[in-house]
Amino acid sequence: MKDPVNLNRAYAIAFKEVRHIWRDPFTLGLALGLPLLMVLFFGLAMDFNVHDIHLTSYDSDHSRSSRQLLETFESSGYFLLRQEPLIGNITEPLDANQAKAVLVIPPHFGRYVVSRMDSPVQVLIDGTDNSTAGVIGGYMEGIQSAANSRLANVSVSPVVTLKPRYLFNPELNSRWFTVPGLAAVVLAIISILLTAMTVAREWENGSMELLLSTPVHPVEIILGKLAPYVVLGLSAQALIYFLARFYFGIPFMGSHVLFILGTFLFVAAYMALGLLVSVTTRQQILAMQFSMMIGMLPNILLSGFIFPIENMPAFFQYLTMLFPARWFVLVIRGCFLRGSDLAQLAVPLLAMLFMATLFVTVAVRRFKKDVEP
Amino acid sequence: MNKNDKEQNTSVWVKNLTVKFGSFTAVDHISFHVNSGEIFGFLGANGAGKTTTIRVLCGLLEPTSGEVRVAGLDPKKGLEAVKARVGYMSQKFTLYPDMTVDENLEFAAALHKIPSEVHKRRRAEGLEIIAFKAKTRQLVSELSGGTKQEVALVAALLHDPEILFLDEPTAGVSPVSRSRFWSIIRGLSHRGKTVFVTTHYMDEAENCGRIALMRDGRIVALDNPANLKKDTFPEPLYELTPRPGVKSDWLKNLRKDKAVLSVKPYGMRYHAIVSNARRWRELSRRMAGDFKARPIQPSLEDVFIRVVEGAK
Repeated sequence: MKDPVNLNRAYAIAFKEVRHIWRDPFTLGLALGLPLLMVLFFGLAMDFNVHDIHLTSYDSDHSRSSRQLLETFESSGYFLLRQEPLIGNITEPLDANQAKAVLVIPPHFGRYVVSRMDSPVQVLIDGTDNSTAGVIGGYMEGIQSAANSRLANVSVSPVVTLKPRYLFNPELNSRWFTVPGLAAVVLAIISILLTAMTVAREWENGSMELLLSTPVHPVEIILGKLAPYVVLGLSAQALIYFLARFYFGIPFMGSHVLFILGTFLFVAAYMALGLLVSVTTRQQILAMQFSMMIGMLPNILLSGFIFPIENMPAFFQYLTMLFPARWFVLVIRGCFLRGSDLAQLAVPLLAMLFMATLFVTVAVRRFKKDVEP
Repeated sequence: MNKNDKEQNTSVWVKNLTVKFGSFTAVDHISFHVNSGEIFGFLGANGAGKTTTIRVLCGLLEPTSGEVRVAGLDPKKGLEAVKARVGYMSQKFTLYPDMTVDENLEFAAALHKIPSEVHKRRRAEGLEIIAFKAKTRQLVSELSGGTKQEVALVAALLHDPEILFLDEPTAGVSPVSRSRFWSIIRGLSHRGKTVFVTTHYMDEAENCGRIALMRDGRIVALDNPANLKKDTFPEPLYELTPRPGVKSDWLKNLRKDKAVLSVKPYGMRYHAIVSNARRWRELSRRMAGDFKARPIQPSLEDVFIRVVEGAK
């Protein structure tokens, strides 16, 4: 005669858990403070748009043309110009990290320009930071054509002009790209961490044994313990959502239902991982370290949140498929920027459904095996 | 008494119970039974196998081999039924400190699916038994150690179990609270509850109807306190108080004498087991300048030392 799973008991455990959360400022602070901090920090600090680039110029010509060229740089709005006389090594501003680029205008530059001869100007760019270097290189092309028309009245009118238009993020605002993706990292960390900690705590202080000495069913323990944290995870996502939309002004083009569904699957998958961690470690400190490792590293590196998956070697591209975060980033960017519908998000959602089911099944089995004599 | 009666009076029945963790044998072929309404004590050092045995009897651990009946039920045939009939107070954890007394009791009741009127009645009874004076809306962390243990006992009693398993319930509790706790336990036994208790306070063990002494996973002695003392100490026992300023070689001389079986230090005094009463009288007269001898009844501590440590 087996006692069936009883929802009242699960509810009693959930209710007790809410009391723990309510009386422990750390848990609540972690669940809601961490998303707030990370989104603000990452959102404000991780700006790939480059402006105010320090540029040192050596003008050995001092002609009208050379001054016009420098003005072109200045008026572009991207550069902060500093003119210096050429003494010693031209790479010195780069060596001393005073400038990201150096502009060298040779003597007789103006004469060449006026006589419409080939008038080369050297630009040295600091290549240590290649994302900035790439952006500076891109700006140079624009400035070159501006300078041509201004200095020599040569307006280049090529036969073929490519006119790119960026869809979904017309200004290529990097925050639009990072903030929604950040949700994957933040939610993964708090889901795995809170679950691992709450179960590990019951092991550590011995209350798990007392729970198990009553007729309570392992599934009721899991349901009761996880339910409040699912709510907490969804609240954290809501917080991120409001920050993204109303603080960073990121548009939300897609369906809220899909957004919530995706979040739920993602949170469930990581909570199951947290449960696995706690079954394995049974200690809060270890559970915390494990959770940070599993929650943080693969989700930052392999989710496509920062580093494009398409650029990875084939092996890593396949590897990313094993992480729910990769699929979640697709769902979340789809919902925010693309306005994707169910058909377009079917693959990532199904992948997450599959993984969440798999993780939950494995975790529940391991937990049951662990607690049943 | 026929077999049927005997089975009805038996709360716990254990035969050849063995528990192994890998190559380590925690409990090694022990057999015993506990009568209903009895206070049954498990005495032993840490690691002797007391907690492991309790965990098997509460359905928290599966034995490697052996037969177990708890409240007449075989745990192998259904743990839930066993769990519904036993109350357990673990050594490590009693109540959630960040919850109030009310909340803790409510939670314990919910786990046993106790209807709310029944819960209210039993809670009131339980708090009366322990003469609870503090506020039930107080956080458990604010209670004293003794009160906390008593409330934990009430929580373990809410589902009206037949058998209570108390694993070192008085560890780390003040002596006054300890004696209070034991009078509560005796009261429960009078009401017909079987109480199975482990302890390593020897003075407490005197409260038990019968005691099993455990060492290295085996029961080395099992009887009521009076019989244990009588069987362990057929010889007279004396307490020796050394005279002030006496030279230390008296102890060596005493130990060499055939009249003395053993002399063990006991705080500032010594307990001597005497093998030959007549020789001892002569000896103690001769050495009257060295110590004062007083015949004493053996305490359970003497029994424990002789049985458990002497067996090494």
